[in-house]
This record gives sequence, C-alpha cells and structure tokens, in this order.
Amino acid sequence: MTEGDLSSTAVGDVLPELVFGPITRQTLALYAGASGDHNPIHIDIDYARTAGLSDVFAHGMLSFGVLSRSVTEWFGVSRLRAFGARFVAITHVHDTVTCTATVARRFTADGEERALLSVVAKTQDGRETLRGDAVICLA
Amino acid sequence: MDGHERPAHRVPANSEVLRVGKLTIAEGIFDRSALGKTVEPVTVAVERGAIRAFARVLGCQDAVHYDVSAARDAGHADLVAPPSFFMAIETQADEQRRRANLPSVFDLIRTDFRYLLHGEERYFYGAPIYAGEDVVISSSVIGFYDKIERAMEFATIQSSVCQPARGLLVRSERVLLHRLPAREPCA
Repeated sequence: MTEGDLSSTAVGDVLPELVFGPITRQTLALYAGASGDHNPIHIDIDYARTAGLSDVFAHGMLSFGVLSRSVTEWFGVSRLRAFGARFVAITHVHDTVTCTATVARRFTADGEERALLSVVAKTQDGRETLRGDAVICLA
Repeated sequence: MDGHERPAHRVPANSEVLRVGKLTIAEGIFDRSALGKTVEPVTVAVERGAIRAFARVLGCQDAVHYDVSAARDAGHADLVAPPSFFMAIETQADEQRRRANLPSVFDLIRTDFRYLLHGEERYFYGAPIYAGEDVVISSSVIGFYDKIERAMEFATIQSSVCQPARGLLVRSERVLLHRLPAREPCA
C-alpha cells in the first residue's frame, strides 16, 4: 500500500499513525476561536468548576477533526464520502492523541469503488476516546 | 455558541426526580417539546481565513486548505474546508441567529453547557465546501432518549449544508448529551 495508489488498498491495511498533542490550554483556546465553539467548559477553569469538574477538558470535535485527518491525509479530503465516530471518553488537557485507521472492507456503492475504514483515537495511556469509521472513494 | 450566560438549570420544587441507587438526578434538562422543530435556515459566507485557521489548529498538512493556487491545481474552485468544518459553519450561523433574535438548536433543546457532551457524530459528504461560497445550513431536532442507569439524556440533531448551485454538500446526524447532575432530593 502506497499513498495515492488506490487500487492496492486492501482489507487489513493500516494507515500511518497520526499523533496529535500534547493538547495544551492554548490548543483549546485556538480551537475555540477557529471553530466558534466558545463553550467555556473547554477554556475557563472557573466555569468548569461550576459544573463540578476540576479542570477544563478538550472539545470532542477537536479530536474528531484530528481523527478524520488520519484518513484524509492519506487519501485526500475530496475522497471522503462519510465520517462518523462515537465519543467514548473525554480527552483531558495534556493528553496526546494517537489515531489509527484500518481498511475494514471494500465495496461498490453509487457506481464507485469504496473502502470502509475503522478509526480509533487513543490517549498516551491507551484510553480509547473516539471510535468510528470512514468511507473513502477509491476512484 | 450563544446561551452560555443563561441561568443555571434549577429543579423546580415540584419536579419529578429519578433515583438510581443512591443517586438522585433531575428528570432532565433538554426541552422535549423541541422534538420535530427546525431552526431558521441561515446563509453563511465561507471565508478563506476561517478555513486556514481551522485547518491549522487541527494540524492539517494538505495545502488545499491553505494555498489557493494549490487548491486550484488540485481541481478545486478555492480553498477546501476540512471535513469537520461543519462545526464552524454552524457556530457562525448561530451567531447570525443570535443577532437576529432567532433561536439556535442549542436554545431549542435548552442546552446546559456545563453538562453537555457529544455522544456521536456522523457526516455524509456530497461535495467539498469551498471558500468564497455562500452556504445554507439548516437543523432539526429528530429525537430524544435517556440512559437513566448512566444518568444521561440524549438529543439527536439532523443538519444539512447546501450550496444553492451545487446542492447538498454535507449532511450530519449528531447525538448531544447531558450528564445529569446529582440533586438534593426534593422535600
């Protein structure tokens, strides 16, 4: 399997691991600004404490966006047909997220050769934070 | 996102409470009467700077998110939004709704941001989102459910982003949840 060589994409192929982090408070501030998600639970520790938490935690959609990169950096963003994930656990400040994508099956839909990939994000201690899948067009 | 300044959720004295083991929780925070409701569709201008800033925070490597000529060389009309850029379009739409005194989907379902988490998000891509375009985003509340044993309540939201000339660009299905806070039992 080599980048750009779509015909050789085979079930069981594992894409290069993507490592993101450590996630700093600055990362969360920048993501709040760039995404427009200004929920203070991610950037204001005083607010987090009103919810009974000891600290802020990372935006779920930050990890979600990073996880989607594990597929699109390899295949190109315009080949992505679907992407979804379940949020399994919260990502904390200082966590480093490692994303892996594995080709689960190949199929044809809407006249296109496609691949379904399983994607997982884990923190440095092996805690799973997101689990989902991606559909890629292989044409 | 607006609404963060809203007063904290309070359990009225006559509110029904749920008891799970020793835990007593409020019956729920979401406004279930929002089921089936749709927020006012809003037209959002997709800006190059917004795409660049968003791509940079995520660490995107592909030049199609940053460099207009690289994007055009790759066959695109302009800078291409990363797949999760939907979020930035929605928050921009909510800001416009706020200025027009229209409710966002978070207002409709009565979100308490202290207890809000994402449960699951799924996106279906019809065509790329390009900088320089006006896109129309609309959202509907399609379901509510509970996991009482985990003290959680869930809301399902369906949204679409369309470009008038090119049609549907992105469709999404999102599950938002409240972790229901423990409450003092009502006397």
